[in-house]
Amino acid sequence: MAALSLPRPDRRALAVTLVVAAAACGVFAWSISLGDFPVPMGDVVATLLGGGDADSELIVRTLRLPRALTGLLVGAAFGLSGAIFQRVARNPLASPDIVGINAGAAAAVTLIVLFDATSTRVTLGALAGAALTVLAIYLLAYKRGVTGYRFVLVGVGASAMLFAVTQYMLTRAELYDAQRAFVWLTGSLNGRGWDYVRPLTIALAVLVPAALALGRRLRILDLGDDAARGLGVRVEATRTGLLLTAATLAAVATAAAGPVAFVALVSPQVARRLVGGCSAALAPSAAFGALLLVSADLVARRIFAPTELRVGVVTAILGAPYLLFLLARANRIGVAG
Amino acid sequence: MLTAESLSLGYDERLVVDDLSLTIPAGALTAIVGANASGKSTLLRGLARLLRPRAGSVLLDGADIHRLPTRAVATKLGILPQQPIAPEGITVADLVARGRHPHQRWYRTWSPADEEAVADALAATEIADLADRAVDELSGGQRQRVWIALALAQGTGLMLLDEPTTFLDLAHQVEVLDLLADLNEREGRTVALVLHDLNLACRYAHHLVAMRDGAIVAQGAPGDVITAETVAEVFGLDCLVIPDPVAGTPLVVPATPRRPANADGIRASRAPSRPS
Repeated sequence: MAALSLPRPDRRALAVTLVVAAAACGVFAWSISLGDFPVPMGDVVATLLGGGDADSELIVRTLRLPRALTGLLVGAAFGLSGAIFQRVARNPLASPDIVGINAGAAAAVTLIVLFDATSTRVTLGALAGAALTVLAIYLLAYKRGVTGYRFVLVGVGASAMLFAVTQYMLTRAELYDAQRAFVWLTGSLNGRGWDYVRPLTIALAVLVPAALALGRRLRILDLGDDAARGLGVRVEATRTGLLLTAATLAAVATAAAGPVAFVALVSPQVARRLVGGCSAALAPSAAFGALLLVSADLVARRIFAPTELRVGVVTAILGAPYLLFLLARANRIGVAG
Repeated sequence: MLTAESLSLGYDERLVVDDLSLTIPAGALTAIVGANASGKSTLLRGLARLLRPRAGSVLLDGADIHRLPTRAVATKLGILPQQPIAPEGITVADLVARGRHPHQRWYRTWSPADEEAVADALAATEIADLADRAVDELSGGQRQRVWIALALAQGTGLMLLDEPTTFLDLAHQVEVLDLLADLNEREGRTVALVLHDLNLACRYAHHLVAMRDGAIVAQGAPGDVITAETVAEVFGLDCLVIPDPVAGTPLVVPATPRRPANADGIRASRAPSRPS
């Protein structure tokens, strides 16, 4: 029966994912080639494939590649995390940067930066902060199930509180430590080497398949809790699993690059519009997040070169107007959908 | 076969259904009727394992429904809740296809059997020509057909429906009930539904369950159950019961004539309007 359109949305999502991912790879290669010491594209590709001379080897492999890879992975993690949060809560404002998941990770990391930071401690701290925050929000918002608005309201409250805690810690800290923490808190990819790429890669290798597998059940959760239970989905367990996976994604991304604003909020929205229909668009959101972050980092590095902006500044400039648009639209139609 | 044994159900502190036992007869169309807040939807949700019992149990083919894997239950028992959510922009075929979820696994997401079940469900509910339309664009009656098609695609011998005719006009109510009666008759599916309209319930149901205050007042064939006394007891309404001129089933007619207007010209029976 040709009229049966089930595979079509999937095919479209796949096509969008591939195109956006290709664009992300393009920007990725371009951002490696650009810099105070430009490396021609041909040399970039050659070096990435194992060839190239010693100079480009140093610049590409040691300096620019890990930074660009971190951007790619962090962007994908934020995009995927945002897509899951927004879908589970059925509200576009329920993304980890708005509801305080990033803020939870940031508060924990600030604490660690002020004492004694190693990249492992930062990662573990971010994980713990994010997991505790998401559980607290979930429990506080739970009232015979979780509705989007409650989740967002509780999350915004949590975000404000955690921000205050972070600020308090900064005022009590030594100036040098506070300065370092502050740079990290804006979100930056500056100086990210292989010690950041490795844990990120391992975490994503586990989390992305988990998210995509659980994401299949999102299609059923979308029909409402009762209908989903009727179709044999363990609703609370699935939702908890999805939220923890998404929170962990946001946490590892935050640990690597700081709480970069708006990538998790914007990417799923754009991806969903590109795919169309009612797809959860998890993979396209991840691809778009990667594209957005490597592009924003390229802008941050080059626009006032040799002075660098922090990538979080660029995403905030891009993302804040979009947030205002979403809020205006949500007000007008009563539900943010 | 679905049986409730000394079932107690409630929300938070409130006990709604207390120590109720009931068997949904296999192969029949059962209608649960009762006044607002009589616990009929709560009972249906309990039977469908959407609510965990406070006491007692629900048995599906003799096994406690809460001990069976929920996915296994979903291959035997389908449920259409009162207000399911159609995701924005979803097409009819895509929505109906989600009814196949209990039959799918992560390594086998779409099979020819799924394809066939969905095509059959669309054909049985006569919405095959709407397959590519967005569900948001459909009329209330069509949308209800889509949800019934989803339950059909699930391929269960037993279907529970919570007020499938609310918000529909009379013609669409009849259309939906005709469809369910058809499915029951042609395919031998057991159907149990909560209905608001007593007269339609009498016309379509083989087995009628009348509830009040979370307990069963009477049950059996509509012709045996529906008398002026039962209706008075269940709904607190004086009425006449006469044979339906078309189907011969009981027809309930309120016995009190319209109350006259009072001095202010406002009909006493109308004001204040009750929230439904």
